[in-house]
Amino acid sequence: MHDKDKLATAAANGNVELVESLLLNGADVNGVNRFGRTPIQVMMMGSTPVARVLLAHGADPNVVDAHAGATPLHDAARTGFLDTVKILIQFGANPDVGDNNNYRPVDLAQQNGHQEKTSKVSRVALFRSFAHYPVIPAFIPSYLK
Amino acid sequence: MAMTQESGIQYEPVAEIGGGAYGTVYKARDKQSGQFVALKSVRVQTDQEGLPLSTVREVALLRRLEQFDHPNIVKLMDVCATLRTDQETKVTLVFEHVDQDLKTYLEKAPPPGLPVSRIKDLMRQLLCGLSFLHSHRVLHRDLKPENILVTSRGQVKLADFGLARIYSCHMALTPVVVTLWYRSPEVLLQSTYATPVDIWSTGCIFAEMFRCKPLFCGESEVDQLTKIFSVIGLPSEDEWPTDVTLSRQNFCPQSPQPITDSVPEISEEGADLLLKMLTFDPLRRISALSAQEHRFFSDQPDNS
Repeated sequence: MHDKDKLATAAANGNVELVESLLLNGADVNGVNRFGRTPIQVMMMGSTPVARVLLAHGADPNVVDAHAGATPLHDAARTGFLDTVKILIQFGANPDVGDNNNYRPVDLAQQNGHQEKTSKVSRVALFRSFAHYPVIPAFIPSYLK
Repeated sequence: MAMTQESGIQYEPVAEIGGGAYGTVYKARDKQSGQFVALKSVRVQTDQEGLPLSTVREVALLRRLEQFDHPNIVKLMDVCATLRTDQETKVTLVFEHVDQDLKTYLEKAPPPGLPVSRIKDLMRQLLCGLSFLHSHRVLHRDLKPENILVTSRGQVKLADFGLARIYSCHMALTPVVVTLWYRSPEVLLQSTYATPVDIWSTGCIFAEMFRCKPLFCGESEVDQLTKIFSVIGLPSEDEWPTDVTLSRQNFCPQSPQPITDSVPEISEEGADLLLKMLTFDPLRRISALSAQEHRFFSDQPDNS
């Protein structure tokens, strides 16, 4: 595997130990892989531990996919992983930006809820409440103190 | 679902997520829907006859399974064949991508681990997917927490099944490190094997749901078997398969240990099911269908 792909691949596989060790060994948290994507764009969206580590190391949560126009927040919302949505917003992801189809993350969360009508309302409500969370400054991991 | 000739157009790879043994696996974006998919490619040798019959058969089987739209199996969305040279064709299988696996799901569980009701639900779905595959005579062969996917709604979907035979000729060529931890004794002993191998793996995963860490972490085949026998006991001479080179004398005599020593959190019903899954003799091991009927799943109120 190409060296520059390692961090993105570890993030995509949800391998939080490897993500942490690569970052501690100097991997660029916002470096692109050979497909032009940063780790936070391709991370396993259900892995809140990976999201947290990347964001704590300064990953840009507002990076836009060159072709789809989607941000990580769009993808976390589409796939329905609300814990990851929450962390992204806490670290400054913009919930009001539209993708190439002009869908905001909340629109994709709503579409995601269509299959199960019962959870749709609560899902969207929860999502809206996260949008009003105070943005917390990136915390410094204990091992860097 | 047509055999698409060009794979590069609709799906754009965004990251390499695995491979080595048989080809490469990419996380990609479906440009039409915006959703992520998993692209699994394998290079196959071709001649004037086109693709080998075995490959065509395996792909046809995967497509037939897809028609059942089973809730606990990842969707096969597309199959693409790209001619690379006169002798080689790249076959790409496009699967639904679920952005969470059971490994991550278990890591995220806050102490003291998953509630029993959640373990029951996950196991019910896992066994449902498995008995579906087994009823179509498809073995998974490599079941592990990394290829058991869990959606944000808690739906379990099995991935990477039925690929072993498509990949088999390539796997022989490229030695890679694969995990032994979920491998059944008959596979470790290189004896003949069938659907019970997946039940053994399921048993290991069942125990891991309670423990939040793997049950048997061997570093070699012999080490893996030693760790297994230290819990289930050394099988008797009559149970030892006759078609294997590794003899029973290579292992120390061991009596079975109480399974609750390894999995203290498990209930009596759970322990009974677990032991039926971790049975040495594949012919006496419980089937996926019977496991679904086990009293562990009967709706008695439990404390969690």
